Amino acid sequence: MDAETIREQELFDAALPLANAEERHAFLDRACDGDPDLRSRVAKLLAAHTHSEVFFQRCISDFATVAHELRPGAGADSFPNLSEEMIGTSVGRYKLLKTLGEGGCGVVYLAEQAEPVRRRVALKIIKLGMDTQSVIARFDAERQALALMDHPNIAKVLDAGATEAGRPYFVMELVDGIRITRYCDENHLTLAGRLNLFVQVCQAIQHAHQKGVLHRDIKPSNILIALHDGLPVPKVIDFGIAKAIEGRLTGETTYSYDGQLIGTPAYMSPEQAELNSVDIDTRSDIYSLGVLLYELLTSRTPFDQKNLLRLGLDEMRRTLREDEPRRPSGLLATLTHPELTIAAAQRRIEPFRLVKALTGELDWIVMKTLEKDRRRRYETANALAMDIRRFLNSEPVLACPPSRIYRFQKLVSRNKVIFASGAIVLLTLLVGLGISTRFYFKERDGRIEQTKLRQIAETARASEFQLQKEVEAREKITQASVLLSHGAMEQADALIDPIPAKLFSPSSEATVVFRSLGDWNLLQARWQKAADRYAVVVQVNQVDRAELSTVATTDLLVAQPLLIEAGDIPGYERSRKMVLARLAGTPFAGAAEQLLKTSLLLPADESIMKMMPPLENLIISSVKNYDVSQNENLWILATWRTFALALLEYRRGNFNASMDWLEKCSAYPDQTPSCVASAHILRSMNEFQLGETTPAQAELAAGKSMVDGLFAAKLELGDNKTGRLGGWIMARIFLREAKSLADASIDFGD
Amino acid sequence: MLSRENKGDITQVLQAVNGHETVSQESLAQIYEELRRIAASRMAMESAGQTLQATALVHEAWLRLFGANGGRWQNRAHFFASAALAMRRILIESARRKMSLKRGERAEHVSIEDVDIAQTLPDERLLMIDEALERLQKKDTELARVVILKFFGGLTNVEVAEILGVTERTVQNKWVFAKAWLLENIREVARPAM
Repeated sequence: MDAETIREQELFDAALPLANAEERHAFLDRACDGDPDLRSRVAKLLAAHTHSEVFFQRCISDFATVAHELRPGAGADSFPNLSEEMIGTSVGRYKLLKTLGEGGCGVVYLAEQAEPVRRRVALKIIKLGMDTQSVIARFDAERQALALMDHPNIAKVLDAGATEAGRPYFVMELVDGIRITRYCDENHLTLAGRLNLFVQVCQAIQHAHQKGVLHRDIKPSNILIALHDGLPVPKVIDFGIAKAIEGRLTGETTYSYDGQLIGTPAYMSPEQAELNSVDIDTRSDIYSLGVLLYELLTSRTPFDQKNLLRLGLDEMRRTLREDEPRRPSGLLATLTHPELTIAAAQRRIEPFRLVKALTGELDWIVMKTLEKDRRRRYETANALAMDIRRFLNSEPVLACPPSRIYRFQKLVSRNKVIFASGAIVLLTLLVGLGISTRFYFKERDGRIEQTKLRQIAETARASEFQLQKEVEAREKITQASVLLSHGAMEQADALIDPIPAKLFSPSSEATVVFRSLGDWNLLQARWQKAADRYAVVVQVNQVDRAELSTVATTDLLVAQPLLIEAGDIPGYERSRKMVLARLAGTPFAGAAEQLLKTSLLLPADESIMKMMPPLENLIISSVKNYDVSQNENLWILATWRTFALALLEYRRGNFNASMDWLEKCSAYPDQTPSCVASAHILRSMNEFQLGETTPAQAELAAGKSMVDGLFAAKLELGDNKTGRLGGWIMARIFLREAKSLADASIDFGD
Repeated sequence: MLSRENKGDITQVLQAVNGHETVSQESLAQIYEELRRIAASRMAMESAGQTLQATALVHEAWLRLFGANGGRWQNRAHFFASAALAMRRILIESARRKMSLKRGERAEHVSIEDVDIAQTLPDERLLMIDEALERLQKKDTELARVVILKFFGGLTNVEVAEILGVTERTVQNKWVFAKAWLLENIREVARPAM
């Protein structure tokens, strides 16, 4: 390698990010001091930079012209008049009987197959000017995956081939049905009826996703409702066809050769609308499912198809990428009175009740599927279906309204320049510089904005690799979640085992996967693995909104003791400090108890002890006039709270005060075995400290037999009522501490 | 004149540029044939505004050759490196053939003092780049490799980084620098000698 060239590139790289020609010149003057040749070469290279980008862009598009000679003799013939003229003719081994429909990219025929079995099929001839060979090649590549799909709600794609004129065609299982939206409206299906059909559609899509097939063109005309024994059964058609006919030249695009959109813009996810959308995944189908759900609920799509088409390609893409659709209930409010009355009548509900029914949870579910940032959507069709089931069963849904901070962030990101300059104006006023000429601000804003953009670009480049890894991690989560739903715990565990925790982005799905796998390892007494899994749960809770709810502290009940059980004492020390720092401000007595208890599993230093009083006060006031009806009708919660107070006093060295709390603890009418055992053990610890060795030994023995008995039997996770396994692990940790006190007292006696 | 590669010996070229030794001539010829075939079928579809993207061709060749049953290539990266070379040969050969047919037209352009690149013909531009690339190769082989993989192979920074065993950032920097270098070199050569 040439040292000269290396030096040139070093200077080039350093000078290129500088803001303008002046700065670059100044830089080169300094850097090339005494070497005018080098300076002149680098200056020329820098001067060539902008032009070279354009030039090479141009050259890449020259490839088509250059390779022109490769053109084979025969071109493709123009598309013959289809439809009626083709009736009665044969395509491959299929005889066309009549036209079933004609869409944007093809015509569908009812056809008859004579060999090897006589049956009727749907045959779709693609009419866009397409390269038949590669369409069929692409279809062949998917054929195996398509063959794996076997689901009552998916119409099978049976065959593909080329017509004599060279057009690609697809043969599908014939579905005698009408599109889902029409079926729902004509039959006046209620919201619940519609949601039930939609859940079945989600399940079909989930099945396909599990087999590695994306649909890519989910819309009402691809989801038909057929009647089986009088019951409506959704059938998803056209699987694998979108993939085969799109993305012929520029990777996986949704544009045909002349820039025409393939597919239906109103149902298209923001990422599909991109010109170079290589990275389409299952979440694009989730988005389209969301649009379908929106339409089932409101009879409208989030973005009006006609309006979108009127906007022109660029504006349409911008709309899909940036504009927030209205919430379904919000959209209803914009309808005219007759429109709303019709929509409501089609759902057998009064207009105002329809708006009310959509407001809240259904709004949230729909909006979660329509997130621009696909990381915020449901991760799987199954997760979406589950949330709808939860809604139908009146259980709380996972989707929730966007938080205020999130909305603010979005507002800022949409108006970066305004916010940036706003902040600067404010800052300047506060500092009191007083220099407020317009030019000053203008120049200043411009420069800061530029620096910022440059930083963003640099960071983006650097994080591309990281993002790639995160995408892979996320896909693993989705797979693991599917495996879990089939009970394949071992495979799921093995799948996520080698991935570093930091790669998992917060998502409700990741939390569920790791919690389940943590519990699974727990049940088999694999403490280390279980601790690893729960460590991810805690980490994800940290970033997720879940943190402020009691879910996060409930996870601590398992996560924190597990660290100790796995022998990771430094890990526990780090974890308890971090968790306290974040959560000590909790307003919930339950959370305070869980936090306090799990932070004092081992003796604690001053910095931890001084975080305790606010938690302590919350707990004391909750047990002072304990209202069982306000606490899930469980006395058990009070026993654990008084136990926590006893533990705190023990750690403070107030052994008598600790004993007083333990007495209250044992007096409640209902007891959890793990709490009873823990109370025995803590009592023995107090007594050892107070020098009452005999009763201490008895309490220790009582606690020990309970703990040993539990761990000798088959482990069970337990719940709030029966006591969690985490509580038993805690008891075992206390037991070890009590034993060492017992040993010390014997030594003393000797 | 223009011919710097020995047409028959692709493997040698590969070794020179890539540093790997394991692609057999047979497999390279296979990639070459496949890319030609795909390109040919694409061209049949060509219409205004359409561009033939190297990426699309290379990826499709990968699909067809490597496909489901596994291939003879060590890995994806290795395959893409070979495919990029094959792409270069296809495009350059095609450009040369056409240029030799239009020899007369070209003569006018050569006489221009400082090449106005916008006025050159596509084939000519491509050959100029190829010649400048040969010169770059003598200066810095790694820069030349990046150009072959990015420009002819249409590979992404991630893929190139994987093949060369460097960071994406390095690939991006090298690619930007190499483009400026090549253009400057083309201009340099076209300027009349002082």
